[in-house]
Amino acid sequence: MPAVSLHGITKRFPGVVANDGVEFEAAEGEVHALLGENGAGKSTLSNILTGLYRPDEGTVELYGERVEFDSPRDALDAGICMVHQHFRLVPPFTVAENVILGDHRGEGGRFLVNPRHIERRVAELGERYRIAVDPRARVWQLSLGEQQRVEILKALYREAKILILDEPTAVLTPQEAESLFVTLRAMADEGRTVIFISHKLHEVTAVADRVTVLRGGKTVATVGTADATPQSLASLMVGREVDVATRVPREMTIGDAVLELEGVGATGDRGAEALHDVSLTVRSGEIVAVAGVAGNGQRELAETITGMRPTTTGRIVVGGKALKGGDSREAIHAGIAHVPEDRLHTGVAPSLSIASNTVLKSYRGTHIARGPMLRLGAIKERALHLISSYDVRTSGPNVPARQLSGGNLQKVVLGREFSGEPRVLIAASPTRGLDVSAIETVHRYIREGATGGMGIILISEDLDEILALADRIVVMYEGRIVGELDAETATKDAMGLLMAGVTEPVA
Amino acid sequence: MIRVERRLEQPRWLSLAVPIGSLVVAFVAMTIVLLVTGHDPFTTFRRLFDSAFLGSAELNATFVSATPLLFTGLCAAVAFRMQLFNIGGEGQLYVGAIFAAAAALLVSGVPTVVAIPVMIAMGALGGALFALIPAVLRAFFKTNEIIVSLMLNYVAALVLNYLIFDSLSYWRDTSSPEAKVFPQGKTLPDAASWPLSHIGGLELPFGLLLGLVIAGVVWVLYSRTRFGFEVQVIGDSPRAASYAGMRTRRKILAVMALSGAIAGIGGASQDGDVRHLLDARGLSAAGYGYAGIVVAALARYNPFAVALVAFLLGGIQNAGYTLQGADFPSGLVGVMQGLILFCALGGELLIRHRIRFERRRPAESVA
Amino acid sequence: MSKSKVALVAALTAVVATASLVVTAVGSAKQHDVFKAAWIYVGPHNDGGWSQAHDEGRLAVVKALGSKVETTYKENVPEGPQVSQVIDSLVKDGNKIIFATSFGYQDAVLAAAKKYPTVDFEMATGYKTATNMADYYGAGEDAIYLSGMAAGAATKSGVVGYVVPFAIPEVIRHTNAFALGVQATHPGATVKIVWTNSWFSPATEKKAAQSLKAAGADVIGQNVDSPSAGQYSESAGLPWVGYDSDAQKFAPKQWLTGAVYNWGVYYIPRVKAAMAGTWKTGSYYGSLSDGFTKLAPFGPLVSSATKAAIATKLAALKAGTFDEFAGPLYDQAGKLRVPAGKKLSLGDLMAIDWLVKGVQGSPKG
Repeated sequence: MPAVSLHGITKRFPGVVANDGVEFEAAEGEVHALLGENGAGKSTLSNILTGLYRPDEGTVELYGERVEFDSPRDALDAGICMVHQHFRLVPPFTVAENVILGDHRGEGGRFLVNPRHIERRVAELGERYRIAVDPRARVWQLSLGEQQRVEILKALYREAKILILDEPTAVLTPQEAESLFVTLRAMADEGRTVIFISHKLHEVTAVADRVTVLRGGKTVATVGTADATPQSLASLMVGREVDVATRVPREMTIGDAVLELEGVGATGDRGAEALHDVSLTVRSGEIVAVAGVAGNGQRELAETITGMRPTTTGRIVVGGKALKGGDSREAIHAGIAHVPEDRLHTGVAPSLSIASNTVLKSYRGTHIARGPMLRLGAIKERALHLISSYDVRTSGPNVPARQLSGGNLQKVVLGREFSGEPRVLIAASPTRGLDVSAIETVHRYIREGATGGMGIILISEDLDEILALADRIVVMYEGRIVGELDAETATKDAMGLLMAGVTEPVA
Repeated sequence: MIRVERRLEQPRWLSLAVPIGSLVVAFVAMTIVLLVTGHDPFTTFRRLFDSAFLGSAELNATFVSATPLLFTGLCAAVAFRMQLFNIGGEGQLYVGAIFAAAAALLVSGVPTVVAIPVMIAMGALGGALFALIPAVLRAFFKTNEIIVSLMLNYVAALVLNYLIFDSLSYWRDTSSPEAKVFPQGKTLPDAASWPLSHIGGLELPFGLLLGLVIAGVVWVLYSRTRFGFEVQVIGDSPRAASYAGMRTRRKILAVMALSGAIAGIGGASQDGDVRHLLDARGLSAAGYGYAGIVVAALARYNPFAVALVAFLLGGIQNAGYTLQGADFPSGLVGVMQGLILFCALGGELLIRHRIRFERRRPAESVA
Repeated sequence: MSKSKVALVAALTAVVATASLVVTAVGSAKQHDVFKAAWIYVGPHNDGGWSQAHDEGRLAVVKALGSKVETTYKENVPEGPQVSQVIDSLVKDGNKIIFATSFGYQDAVLAAAKKYPTVDFEMATGYKTATNMADYYGAGEDAIYLSGMAAGAATKSGVVGYVVPFAIPEVIRHTNAFALGVQATHPGATVKIVWTNSWFSPATEKKAAQSLKAAGADVIGQNVDSPSAGQYSESAGLPWVGYDSDAQKFAPKQWLTGAVYNWGVYYIPRVKAAMAGTWKTGSYYGSLSDGFTKLAPFGPLVSSATKAAIATKLAALKAGTFDEFAGPLYDQAGKLRVPAGKKLSLGDLMAIDWLVKGVQGSPKG
């Protein structure tokens, strides 16, 4: 008898059928991956399972009993917990306080709580599943990986039988991801059911027992990972054969240096040093990848080069001219394009239309503005041009940017950034959260940019992506560049060691 | 079981059906309240409409009440659009009134065509300067503009009181017999009286027309210009604005100055249209600045909607005075005004959300 | 969103307009043939002070004239552009005599008097008149002097607090009368004043009373309209002298007395005259003699000796053999302002801008 079984689940939104007769089953003691492109219906399905949505048609059964959830609380009471991609934690609270928050049945439902008791229990659970976190630490003090552990502890504390994780490895180092997989395995071995949503095919094959692939709101297949390869899963997801981030030979004409960093330093948001003496040269036609575990200064590096963050030491030279720094308008005029890490809140103004976002940087130019007035006709024209030439799937230029899927949003950002004919492109995690076909498109544009003569810095935590795209690889650790590798010969192991700060060859 | 869900699409018919529906609900609720308290709903409603929107005298009074709300509503809307919460419209209006009254007194002897523009300019300057205090603190020291602008309202009220009651200031009348009995501002010269435009039996205060023009200017500014584009981006996502190379600090200063200037012109309009002296007590009792925040919120920061909401609220406010009496306590008037506003806001919610009524099924036993 | 909002508001407006047209077309109530009189109050009709005293006067009219008169009032009417509009609606409702009870209404009332020549207007505490606009007020200072005597008898420390609204001649006159009354029963006592810059502001009045207690006052008096200083005094155990209306219920233990106005004394004959068509303009200044001003009933703390002393002065004031503003009177600086044998005239009192010796606080507010 399966732990979870969904039959004929259909959920319609205006104009969209998000789930169309989805079939899904996960057994007790199983790690079951849910795979699909963005928009394939994974989120809708997990929202139905966690009680956020009600299906229009179809049934949900837990351990053979039919259930209907009126609210997320019903799902929680039935033992279903979800670890979201964006954590639902209260930063000023301690780990223990976060764990009992909203737990209306146990300790958290009492008027007076016994913090010692909770702390002890949280510590015990942490030990047992090898996800120990200091129960008295405040959540804001924790790294993203530790915060994820708190989310999992929350589920364990509530004795969840079914745990859903949405893209859990997006914020983790390869080593952290490995240890998460061990934890998930241990939970499954105790008879829990772990549902694992991911885009990373090699992870899916590594950790899951079975995989259910969704495409266009329908179940395509459920296969055992023993019989699957990343390539076979990818073709199930997109419905055709794709190359999964493999190296594509590229005609390279490396030219002069377009971007030079000379001993650049910068401080982070909390005032601590985030970049230390970073020197780096990028030449025309070259893709330089910056690898590293999130939080080692990559974001600050991108922001410093693009003028969003002032330099404290050193200088940035673009095309032979030094920038004064700390001024994104200056950087834009110098020809630095930027695909930011947070594409939804930095790359675009999410509530504004696609058209407005198309001219987010060029609205000052004479094509777009006449004196203080905007030429709305010209803006619309430019947006339509971008939509057609970058194949943005949308009903029109007046659609708010936030309604676009991740891939289409990234096309808008790329299209806009390329339209200024930049010399330098800083692309920070340009494919994070995108589906396979969108990743392919983004990679194509980045390669074309380099072929066209741009100097490109690719900041990514996805080592497959780096290996597929980069000509040179530098690794950042604690705000410094700790090593440089030739992309032709680099291995993931070598990068992993540098990313972990190990610069001496291991004996 | 009742669930409120966000609407993904907003059908067109709703924007007509919901306001009508919410008014019907408001009237049903008011009817119940009136019947319970022993009043005749029919007569009451007739008086309510008569006294707000019917008849030229009533409409004229509504115009007078709506004018300051139009200015303070625009003041709030202009700033709130950029997520800049200027709560200081009240104080900026006072300072505008102080500056405009000083201007009118200083240029006494000049013709009206000179006096009015000078009053408008000085009112705008006063309001803008006063709004720049929270703006500078916000832009350069990241101080919360809500608290600073709110506190400055009290400062402005005290300054206003000081000028008329506690000092022999330039604004205070020390010679007229009225002023001997009760302190008051110097009466402004006749040239500083803003004209009324007559359309049929209607008298439109000059300030109202000016406010409508400003609403139009604000609309163009915010939807058709580079300035407005930057304001929209900053309001929606400050990080995107910084990413796009926008000068956020300058925009904070400019938008707050604009917001304060509009409130300041509202103060000038009070001097010129209505009071014809610096009316310390009258202005501070009226609370136009705070009402303006309600107007802006109801209008969802759209300048033309601000004009309509100001007109509606002005009318409802006036109707309140007519309704109340020995047998109709002012508290009951407040209840009715509250019901109308409540239903208007509730309707707004219904346009963006939908309510689903579902029978709660017994949760089948869950393992 | 903004477009749909405009549509919403436009639709709302349209609906209001249509509905009101329908309503108007259907109903049109008949005017009654009773005589209608109206009052305009600056505060709530039950403010426990000024407006309440006027409303008691209105009720006295109702009691005296019964069903021959229909009265109404508008409360919380700010001194601003709303006044004209309130008057318009009162006239439209058929009111033939309108009593405006706050000084700030004066210009609006004068304008209305010109606009509606067939309506009689009465302006409390005003000084402008017209053929259909009269003024009325009274010598509150005489009763205030008597209430000051009660305060003086109650103070042990010799410091009495007095909460005052605006630094205007009326209030300065009242403050002087109060201080002279205090000194009559407690020679050498001082009266500390705190200005609130408002006629009716319960929160500020309470704070003023608190600060007076902190400054050493052991009795609180007031010239403001709300009973909140009294409620504070009751809780702080300080004897209290009220003003405007009998407010003993707000401070049953600590209430001494208070100067109160009996507006009905004026309102009844004026409404009667208006009904009979014999109403004439004028400037009325009521007194203890005609019952317009009087002292409210004493509270439990007032001794029989004090009561007797007050009764003696009351008789003398009524008989005209005593005037609290007779010389010698010294100002705060100790300068002789009124020599022995002279007294302040009504004209002097209406323009007085100095405080008598023993008052601590500025006469400028």
